Amino acid sequence: MGDLFAWLLFFLMLVSLLAIIVYQLMCLADLEFDYINPYDSASRINQMVLPEFITQGVLCFLYLITGHWFMSLLSVPYLYYNVTLYMKRKHLVDVTEIFNQLNWEKKQRLFKLGYLIFILFISLFWMIWSALEEEEHAF
Amino acid sequence: MKTTGTENADRANFPQRPAASPFTAASQSTTPFLSSGPVVGSEAFAFRPAPPNAPQTTPSAPQTTRPYLSSGLMVGSEASGFRPTQPVRYNDPSIPRPPSSFVPPPTGTLQHHPTPQFFSTAQAPPPRTSPGQPVFPPPIRAPAGHVPSPPVYLHSQPQISSGQMGSPPQSINYVPSGRSVPPSSSDSLFSAPRSTLQPLQSAFPGYSSKSPNAVTQPPPVQSAPVFTHQGGYGPPPPATSTPFLAHQRGYVPPPPVAAPPAFYSREQMQHQGSGLPMGAVQGLTEDFSSLSLASVPGSLDPGLDSKVLPRPLDGDVEPKSFAEMYPLNCNSRYLRLTTSAIPNSQSLTSRWHLPLGAVVCPLAEAPEGEEVPIVNFATTGIIRCRRCRTYVNPYMTFTDGGRKFRCNICALLNDVPGDYFAQLDANGRRIDLNERPELTKGTVEFIAPAEYMVRPPMPPLYFFVIDVSISAVRSGMLEVVAQTIKSCLDRLPGFPRTQIGFITFDSSIHFYNMKSSLTQPQMMVVTDLDDIFVPLPDDLLVNLSESRSVVDVFLDSLPSMFQDNVNMESAFGPAIKAAFMVMNQLGGKMLIFQNTLPSLGVGRLRLRGDDLRVYGTDKEHTLRIPEDPFYKQMAADCTKYQIAVNVYALSDKYTDIASLGTLAKYTGGQIYYYPSFQSSIHKEKLRHELARDLTRETAWESVLRIRCGKGVRFTTYHGNFMLRSTDLIALPAVDCDKAYAMQMSLEETLLTTQTVYFQVALLYTSSSGERRIRVHTAAAPVVSELGEMYRQADTGAIISLFCRLAIEKTLSYKLEEARSSIQQRIVKAFREYRNLYAVQHRLGGRMIYPESLKFLPLYGLALCKSIPLRGGYADAQLDERCAAGHTMMALPVKNLLKLLYPNLVRVDEYLGKASSKPDELNISRLPVTAESLDSRGLYIYDDGLRFVIWFGKMLPPDIAMNLLGEDFATDFSRVILSERDSEMSRKLMEILKKFREIDPSYYQMNHLVRQGEQPREGFFLLTNLIEDQVGGMNGYIDWIQQIHRQVQQNA
Repeated sequence: MGDLFAWLLFFLMLVSLLAIIVYQLMCLADLEFDYINPYDSASRINQMVLPEFITQGVLCFLYLITGHWFMSLLSVPYLYYNVTLYMKRKHLVDVTEIFNQLNWEKKQRLFKLGYLIFILFISLFWMIWSALEEEEHAF
Repeated sequence: MKTTGTENADRANFPQRPAASPFTAASQSTTPFLSSGPVVGSEAFAFRPAPPNAPQTTPSAPQTTRPYLSSGLMVGSEASGFRPTQPVRYNDPSIPRPPSSFVPPPTGTLQHHPTPQFFSTAQAPPPRTSPGQPVFPPPIRAPAGHVPSPPVYLHSQPQISSGQMGSPPQSINYVPSGRSVPPSSSDSLFSAPRSTLQPLQSAFPGYSSKSPNAVTQPPPVQSAPVFTHQGGYGPPPPATSTPFLAHQRGYVPPPPVAAPPAFYSREQMQHQGSGLPMGAVQGLTEDFSSLSLASVPGSLDPGLDSKVLPRPLDGDVEPKSFAEMYPLNCNSRYLRLTTSAIPNSQSLTSRWHLPLGAVVCPLAEAPEGEEVPIVNFATTGIIRCRRCRTYVNPYMTFTDGGRKFRCNICALLNDVPGDYFAQLDANGRRIDLNERPELTKGTVEFIAPAEYMVRPPMPPLYFFVIDVSISAVRSGMLEVVAQTIKSCLDRLPGFPRTQIGFITFDSSIHFYNMKSSLTQPQMMVVTDLDDIFVPLPDDLLVNLSESRSVVDVFLDSLPSMFQDNVNMESAFGPAIKAAFMVMNQLGGKMLIFQNTLPSLGVGRLRLRGDDLRVYGTDKEHTLRIPEDPFYKQMAADCTKYQIAVNVYALSDKYTDIASLGTLAKYTGGQIYYYPSFQSSIHKEKLRHELARDLTRETAWESVLRIRCGKGVRFTTYHGNFMLRSTDLIALPAVDCDKAYAMQMSLEETLLTTQTVYFQVALLYTSSSGERRIRVHTAAAPVVSELGEMYRQADTGAIISLFCRLAIEKTLSYKLEEARSSIQQRIVKAFREYRNLYAVQHRLGGRMIYPESLKFLPLYGLALCKSIPLRGGYADAQLDERCAAGHTMMALPVKNLLKLLYPNLVRVDEYLGKASSKPDELNISRLPVTAESLDSRGLYIYDDGLRFVIWFGKMLPPDIAMNLLGEDFATDFSRVILSERDSEMSRKLMEILKKFREIDPSYYQMNHLVRQGEQPREGFFLLTNLIEDQVGGMNGYIDWIQQIHRQVQQNA
């Protein structure tokens, strides 16, 4: 039973991560089409950067302590990337250069998005799997 | 020459019409071409004697011709390079006489025998092998003389050939091309080539003398030489002569010679490149310039005479032809395209390795008589295209009896507002055209109505943030600044609306209440740096005309107020924040005077940049970017509230310009850097530049956008500003000394339009409180030929973009990488260009480049040696690098080119002359190399930012005495050049003044340097002689050779 709840929790965290990334992408797209000025866009994105990093870190850690080392391993590259960005102090979007970095920022987030979706599907699979297993045990 | 009667006959034909007739004649002989191939032999030898022959052998010759041509051209030049043996032949063949003998047979024989011809040629030559006679030029000319049509090189050559050699065969070669192309066209083409060539020729002389061997042809031959080109192709005998021209010269010796190459190139271009039918080809004139780098056999000489290298001694020469083609375009001082021929496809763009873009200087100062017309559309509103928002301009066409106009950028048909309607005349032009500057001028200014304002136009606002710590007082900065501001109060733009305010700071922030009812300013001190607040809601910022007396009192007392200050701290960040809080209601210009490293509060910085080990590592670039994110954030906020920041850095120690400069960079401001400021030395410079900053015409709260036709888009922008949206440049303040660069890309794989239009629009508030739009419009043709792009290239704009790209690169990469990227792009561009011609021309030892880009390598070298990019740790102080980088990011093209390749002039002779007046001052610029310096002379080096006055060791002492009085023997670092009571001194000051007037944007300070006085001489002058090899950086010759080598690799 505990395993199923764990998977549900992971699932929710992944969905919230996806939501954060999508939100950031929307801000960037709005900026590109001139619906929003760079100041607002940058501050909205930057507001969501640390929550994203923390959620992802916690997720990775939870995978580990719940014994899903394979999932944890899958998330490590993402975590590593975030940590290096943070260490280099490049995790925040730079208002002054935002237009020059727009393409890179978008590419980076699209990549993250794909990565998360991939993990999400695996998580879903495990969730369903464990749910089925529970049922089998229940009988 | 001796040419046979037949020849003469040919000539006759030629004279009539140089090109066509000769050719035709030739054409017959064409077959001869083949033969000519042989001829070529002599020259051809160099190239591809055999192959040509074979192909040529066939009567079809005309078509084959192309190859020949190329070869022919090449021949001259390369022959020597390629196959040494051949050259020998040349000499022999060069002899004209043999040709004559050949001649008769030529046409007939030639045709047949490519091979035989060879022999014949070969044989013939030997006999004649007259001693190598260096005199090509004369020969050439002579032929020209014979031929009536000499002007047209092509023609002339062909003609000659025919006449002399039976050159007919040669002519034949040409013929094919000639035929296909209408004569007239060919002529025009030629003429063009000539002009380009000529410059080269001048260069040659030196060269030719060097390599007499090469030029082995006897005078008679001369005529032959002409042929040679042709000969290269068809007629053997003539051919021989031809070869020499090019080859021997190394370059293209005389104009005529040069012409042939041009010819070929064109033809080749047409044929090969475009694959167009020959006829179509006509239009494609192609010229190139070349430098011979092949060493002369048996000499150690590198094969390159430094005297022949191209140098921009006439300053920046803008491409003229383009302006003539589109007289309705705005002047090039406002907008310069890197190439005035826009590529029509992405594949073509990808072969253009130079930047594709524009440099815009929207407010460039117009000379008297060319002021920008101001148009007020009070009744109709501003006429714009309703879809793409393009402003009305001369390229819009009116149709439907004047009721509609078609937008030139998006081709939409718009209605003409009733009040703007005018009938069209018989030519379809509006009858009121002459009263409408917006329809006749490329640059106009519209007065913008209320819908262009988000708030009432702001008044000009100047806010001063002044460091009053001990070093500011000691260096005398405070006094100079106070005096200068005071003297400029009457000249500040925008009277009577101008607003002004002051803050001073050391370890605390001092505000000044300048309310007009006070008799003297009230000072308020805020010491809480963590939580800055503004002690008074208003009156910190006052109207200058109302509070003038208070401001005067304040400026008078400022130096004395702090003269005993011993505070060494600097709360720079908090002071800026405070100023920002005072200003953010209105915006305006913030001038910061900073004397020490910010040490307190937010934005404090630490010493860095003295760490030698960081250089050469991947962390090197971090020294050049702001250390504290506070500065970027502050800059972004300032831009948002229309505040422009100008930073005056006057420290004698490290002040982290990389961080402070960020404030100016993103707000459209400027950095002024005075290392080790001492008022006794730098007073004049600071005074002049501050006064200029305060009094020049400034545009406030402005935005700039550049629009262009469908299919093209501006993608990246480079300069000191911040982007507000993808294509909108926000500029809190702009003035005439700022330029912005942008690069474009093609959105569609193929452009279908014939012309691309560009429109730069700057919406701003003038100092007088009017909202205005300045509009510059330009058109550029779309082309499908790479060669055309090269021909229309603008070195100045390209270098300006290179410079900005390279400096931006130093912010994230090593200096080394920024430099090599410049070099790589030049090499790639030249390689691509070479590929256009090399195959046909066999350019072996020659470096070829388009005439339009002849200075590109030199400026590229100068860029690599400029302060922001040069060397490594020891070659320039970090602050100096960053300051120069910020300055160069904003410089207009002309100033940048002058900074890169400074003026070096010798003045002692002028000073010595008795009665000359400054008006007669006609001093020629010298190459910027130590070789130009004569130890008996007095030289002025002027890069637009400073003067270095160099006293030679053997300079007559009376000159030094006259100029410097008693100081002439002392240490020059303490001597100040001032006017003394002597004619010479007055004259020198007159010259300096004149130089300064040319460009008042910066004040050139005098640095006196005595020859041999180290390290001063090295620091001020020797390291800046960019043509010399300095500290591990290449000299000009080495650089050219290096580029040439790289161009040939993988070519």
